[in-house]
Amino acid sequence: MNALVTSSRRSARRSALVASRVPRGLTPTAVVAVVGVVFVLIWGQQYAGSVFVLAACYAIVTAGMAVQIGFSQQIAFSQSVFMGVGAYGVAMLNTHYNLPVLLATPIVLVGSALLAILLGSVVTRASGLALAVATLMLPLIAVGYVSGTGFLGGAVGAPLPGTLWPSSSASTSVALIGGGLIVIALLALAVFVAARILTSDVGLELFVLGVDERTAAALGVRTPRRKLELFVLGCVFAALGGAVYAGTQQFVPETLVDPTAELALLIMLFIGGRRSVIGAVIGALVIQYLQGASNWVSVNILVVEGLLLTVVLLVDPEGLAGIVTTAISWARTRLGSGPADRRGPSGSSGETGVPEALDALDAPDAAAEPADLAGLADLARAAEPAGLLAAVGDAGPGQPTAALLEIRSVFKEYGGLSVLEDVSLTLPEHGLFALCGPNGAGKSTLLNVIGGSVPPSRGQVVLNGADITRRPPHERFYLGISRTFQSVHLIKGRTVLDNVAVACLASNQSSITTRIVRSRLDQARAQAARTLADLGMEHLADREVSSLTLESQRMVELARALAPRPRLLLLDEPASGLSEEQRQRLAVVLSTLASRTCVFLVEHDLALVAQVSERIFVLSAGRVVFDGGPADFRSSPVVNSLLVGS
Amino acid sequence: MMKFGNLLIAGITTGAIYAMFAVCVSVWYRVSNILNLAVGDFAMIGALGVDNLYRVKGLPLPVAIVCTLLVVAAFAYVYDQVVLRIAQDGPQRMDGIVVTFFFTFALSFFIDGVAKMLFGTDVHAAPALWNGASLSLGSLHFERAGLLVLACAVIIGGAFWVYIRFTLGGKALEASGENSVGARIVGIDTRRYRRLIFVGTAVIAAVFGIVESPLTGFTYLSGATISLTGFLAAAYGGFRKPGRALLAGLFIGVLEAMLGGYVSAEYGDTVLYAILAALVLAWPRQLGFESAVSG
Repeated sequence: MNALVTSSRRSARRSALVASRVPRGLTPTAVVAVVGVVFVLIWGQQYAGSVFVLAACYAIVTAGMAVQIGFSQQIAFSQSVFMGVGAYGVAMLNTHYNLPVLLATPIVLVGSALLAILLGSVVTRASGLALAVATLMLPLIAVGYVSGTGFLGGAVGAPLPGTLWPSSSASTSVALIGGGLIVIALLALAVFVAARILTSDVGLELFVLGVDERTAAALGVRTPRRKLELFVLGCVFAALGGAVYAGTQQFVPETLVDPTAELALLIMLFIGGRRSVIGAVIGALVIQYLQGASNWVSVNILVVEGLLLTVVLLVDPEGLAGIVTTAISWARTRLGSGPADRRGPSGSSGETGVPEALDALDAPDAAAEPADLAGLADLARAAEPAGLLAAVGDAGPGQPTAALLEIRSVFKEYGGLSVLEDVSLTLPEHGLFALCGPNGAGKSTLLNVIGGSVPPSRGQVVLNGADITRRPPHERFYLGISRTFQSVHLIKGRTVLDNVAVACLASNQSSITTRIVRSRLDQARAQAARTLADLGMEHLADREVSSLTLESQRMVELARALAPRPRLLLLDEPASGLSEEQRQRLAVVLSTLASRTCVFLVEHDLALVAQVSERIFVLSAGRVVFDGGPADFRSSPVVNSLLVGS
Repeated sequence: MMKFGNLLIAGITTGAIYAMFAVCVSVWYRVSNILNLAVGDFAMIGALGVDNLYRVKGLPLPVAIVCTLLVVAAFAYVYDQVVLRIAQDGPQRMDGIVVTFFFTFALSFFIDGVAKMLFGTDVHAAPALWNGASLSLGSLHFERAGLLVLACAVIIGGAFWVYIRFTLGGKALEASGENSVGARIVGIDTRRYRRLIFVGTAVIAAVFGIVESPLTGFTYLSGATISLTGFLAAAYGGFRKPGRALLAGLFIGVLEAMLGGYVSAEYGDTVLYAILAALVLAWPRQLGFESAVSG
């Protein structure tokens, strides 16, 4: 059940609660293992049993797809090909080298992993649709190769003598049931690994990666590496599915690798529920059951699949898993029990939940808004030295004159258009600095050059004496550069707490595989809860971000940027869309921050800029045309003609 | 040289077919932000439907064609009214990959299944509309069906271009694609355009299926391959640009013919796909892949 509800925002709170009671990923694994074993033992020798085992082979593949395609939204059409690699690999080792299937499987898996790393390091450079189209070629190439070369039976297919059950002298029934049990064990393992990943700290990273790759990179997610890991994971799961397919079916048809097989896998995933591991397993079961039924349905399987997919998606885009989750929570509220829904914030951050905030939380939105405002009023209070100063800047008041950031004659051209021309500026370790300029002056581009999402055409970006011009955004994040975006870039479908917690996973250098064992999600959530508390926003922790007001969303973004305790905080128009009163509250927060960290602010509100900044840069047509304190700023004719207008 | 000429003719003919499907995909994507992965299935239904009505039911050919096109149009209309309306205009508007890919993907499966029920699994083709031996110009050979395909491509493609470029409807269409909320505010009924283009492209696809099928022959599963090439060509045109989709379709057709003729008849397609994959990976931004689909 755990994985089933993990990603669904409707039950985010409940899932966290479940996670704190049972070890992560154990519930779905236990369900799959128990149901599977019972089914195989009772019906293993009958037709229904063979359909069930075949479905389990596919379910291993779709469990990987749920992580890669559904949850992380990395659409790569590589599954059918790697299913083929697994199946043909086992068939080849079994027929030509007489290796038992069970021994051939790990060899083939290692081979597939290596192949996937090779292939993945090329294709995962692409994102989104480019990744989908590039990998769409893989099954087309593979099927051309198999039928063209007559590789292992070519278009006819490859039979293999061995069975998945290792003993060749075993009777048919033992081989059938034993093979089935091995498949179930491997499926349970696959479900366990997938569910552990989705509920770990990496799962949170992957969710962000799926929603918006650029934001993920700015929050320190090592996007290239995560994308490669996801690709390899999907491929290895597929190869494992293919290997046991070969072992149980004792035949590898060419159709296993062709694009239709890929489409069939996608149908299973989306009918079952794209973001849920259990959903993916259910999808594989449902489709294989329908295909295996020898009646009108299996003859007209295309019509049935088409209708079923349409209806399920219309009812709930999260598939059958989504429908079941909704039904369960509906039944719970209907029965009046539902204690889980009234519980406080998740994980180890439970202690931050104050009762009043919780009441506001469960109340309708209209009632929640006043509490929201009250919290922001607290902000001004919290902005007194104690709260925030403890949270921000470990550096302490060292040498205030030391240069933290140096921009050395940076140029940026897009095609023939010059956006930044010879921009140089230096920022010290503490203080608040503003960047102003008319629209199109290059302000956001300069911020992106510092943040790393836009490489400069020429020039250098130096942080603490080290040249970081060529460093990717996530590495700059580890070095202490944190930012907000001009338009709010929060992760929809996740709570405020999780949105902030993403930034607390910083320096998460470890690979996906180590996270299966250990997750730092609880620590990250605790750190996020502390940051929210310091900003007086703890009562918002469990709210889904898109239900917040714009001011609160901007504050959440600010909290997210502050949570990792950055040395350099880049804020892109934090006041846009805020009312005058809200701006004053923001000004208080900013001034407090400035005493401990370096804040670099892009802002159109000249009054706010002059009020809070100690030094102001004005950019016009890509050049710095003014550089001075607020007093000069107010009186400067250049500034007046450019920004105030004649 | 003659080999090159004939390959070029063959390439342009298949390229024109790809191009038209690509245009259908990208024009509708502009309006609806949905990729029509069922476009090839409408073509298949057109060809097999005409064949069935003409050869099996014995209707006169023009009647068979008109009936088939009417059925396709009616089906597309009903599909838009029932499924797409709930998906896009319903209480919770869905977006992202689910809507972008999977509704038309399900539609494609459904149509294929219906075609299997109605027409069986054999290879069929609509009767040739222009009978006779292939025409020759020196040692260049032109298939009559191929010329018909080219003529249709020029006429329909031209009509599309004129519509988008010069009519108020075309402007409104463009606006719906750029910003559907904005378009609605200035009084453009974006839903009507989504329906209009969906039904229109379904009929155009069916026409192309009818014209093209004498060249290749169709089964109930042919639709997926056609959709795939249309999707690919549209992808290389950045999905939102019908003009570039058209060029991409022609390019893929010619490249396919050249690889088949000069490199290897067996592995021509494999090499083609490898080249196409390499192109995406080398210049994703320039080919318009980034930011084409979000979420």
